[in-house]
Amino acid sequence: MGTISLRKAGKQYGVIDIIKDLDLEIADGEFVVIVGPSGCGKSTLLRMIAGLEQTTYGQILIDGQDVTAAAPVERKLAMVFQSYALYPHMTVRQNMGFGLKLAKLSAGTIKAKVDAAADALKLTPLLNRYPKELSGGQRQRVAIGRAIVREPVGFLFDEPLSNLDAALRVDMRLEIAKLHRTLGATMIYVTHDQVEAMTLADRIVVLKDGRVMQHGTPHDLYEKPANLFVAQFIGSPKMNVLPCRRSGDSRLDLSGEGIMELPLTGDAAPLQIGARPEHLSLVAPESGHCRGTVEASEYLGGSISVFVRNPTLGLINVSAPADSAFGIGETVGIRIDSTRSSLFDGKGLAIGTAPLTL
Amino acid sequence: MINVLRWLVFAIAAFAMNFPILVTLVTSFKSTRELSTNPGLWVQAPTLDNYLAVFQVSDRLNIFLYLFNSITVAFIGTTLAVMLAFPAAYAIARGKLGERTLLPFIVNLRAVPLIIFAIPLYMMFQWLALLDTRLGLGLILSIVNLPLALVILVNAIRDLPGELDEAALMDGASRLQILLRVIAPVCRPAIVTSLIFGFITSWNEFLFGLMLTTSKAVPITVGASFFFAASGGGVQWGVASAVMVVGALPPVLLGLIMYRQISGSMTAGAVKG
Repeated sequence: MGTISLRKAGKQYGVIDIIKDLDLEIADGEFVVIVGPSGCGKSTLLRMIAGLEQTTYGQILIDGQDVTAAAPVERKLAMVFQSYALYPHMTVRQNMGFGLKLAKLSAGTIKAKVDAAADALKLTPLLNRYPKELSGGQRQRVAIGRAIVREPVGFLFDEPLSNLDAALRVDMRLEIAKLHRTLGATMIYVTHDQVEAMTLADRIVVLKDGRVMQHGTPHDLYEKPANLFVAQFIGSPKMNVLPCRRSGDSRLDLSGEGIMELPLTGDAAPLQIGARPEHLSLVAPESGHCRGTVEASEYLGGSISVFVRNPTLGLINVSAPADSAFGIGETVGIRIDSTRSSLFDGKGLAIGTAPLTL
Repeated sequence: MINVLRWLVFAIAAFAMNFPILVTLVTSFKSTRELSTNPGLWVQAPTLDNYLAVFQVSDRLNIFLYLFNSITVAFIGTTLAVMLAFPAAYAIARGKLGERTLLPFIVNLRAVPLIIFAIPLYMMFQWLALLDTRLGLGLILSIVNLPLALVILVNAIRDLPGELDEAALMDGASRLQILLRVIAPVCRPAIVTSLIFGFITSWNEFLFGLMLTTSKAVPITVGASFFFAASGGGVQWGVASAVMVVGALPPVLLGLIMYRQISGSMTAGAVKG
């Protein structure tokens, strides 16, 4: 079992709120990724769950038990740190067995558990090495191994891949996903890398200034962002946000630069429309929803990222097929896929679901 | 040519700086008769008579007792200082306890001339019956050694990532277990450095040895001075030199053996990795 609940939990340093009135229910076996910009409190939140950081108010429950004041070890969680935090004076075997040794398990049991974990993580040939003799990826695997042997009810990952190079990060990401499938344990994973969040998560929690901006499946967050912050934080390259206003029942005026047909419900009064670069296409100047001049382009192999300048709407990023033909300075039209765009009001909150149910 | 010059400069500097040691060493092998005729840096008829005289145990002089006393008080003064400084350093480095006032205050103890403590300490020791005891002298030396040990250890622990402690906490270690099983082994070079510096300081300490001991707990530094006029009638230079050589040997040997440990830990803090 491994359900983790936060009930109106908060963390204050002096008068500063790091985490504010946070409610979160994490189901057994769920892979939850907490993302947010630097300083949003995501690491603090993880450390509160781990018990390394005291919770100022509210409750933390693990499997229904209130552990708000419990010591880290009593919570039966394991943590993988960004810096690996391996004990430098111990071999890989001793590193992995340290927690079991403290729990006063017999030497035979410890050996069996460490051997099993080492086997699963392909660490067996490295068991007698010291951390300084390992590469970054191997160290991270040892850190994960140290977490596994204790058979915790949940795993906490604090930006575990950010010290690795890009290629290794992809490998380790796959390995963590595999680990989650085989162990079926609850995992909470903190990262600022939204690709990691999208690929690993059953559910993503987007945090900003200590508050949950939205939580849901990667698909939900990508397709139905609840607000401008989530819309722009999730997805790469960033979503384009264009100023607009309602014009009649089913029309959207792109600030005088063009008109879009959109079925708007009730008295919704969107002031901004969000459209991802991959949901925009370059067309002839006269046939698009708006037009602009090509200012720059980036060839990405599979596609081209085109930056189009419109005097009123600003710089618009369009993801065009790699074989598109256009020149810098050329006037182009931009077509917006109205079925995939999001609308936001003056406060940056998403309006209805009308554009998505078309 | 440049190389020859370089070695020449080095040789002159080494000779000049080690001149007192060389003179002492040479003198210790000269007979009393030769001392009055040959002031040079060579020995015409080397003799071990001076050393034999030094190792002669008499009612008044016992070099073995002085050496034993020095080793004992240095051991007490050093280990006690490190044992006290290590948990304190952890609290200062990790808990930020006393970082603002206590640490500078303790470190500043080093700047105060030790003679200031002499009279009050003598009275205290008299009252506690610690005068002329190895334990008493050892306790004082631990106070003398504490500031440097504390500074070395605070810096060593500060250099360790806090995640190390947190990983151990997650593994179920208590604070004491973290201290003894994680931090202490990782800080071994710093601990060894504190021990060596403490030992050398303790061994060379003269003031408290002179003041607080009379016969039973006399350390080698004070005991050596007894030999200077052993049989009355002027200083016996040969015997005095021999006792100085014997007294200086232990810390010199220790320094040579442990040199790697010292230099290793000095740079370990400076360059991360």
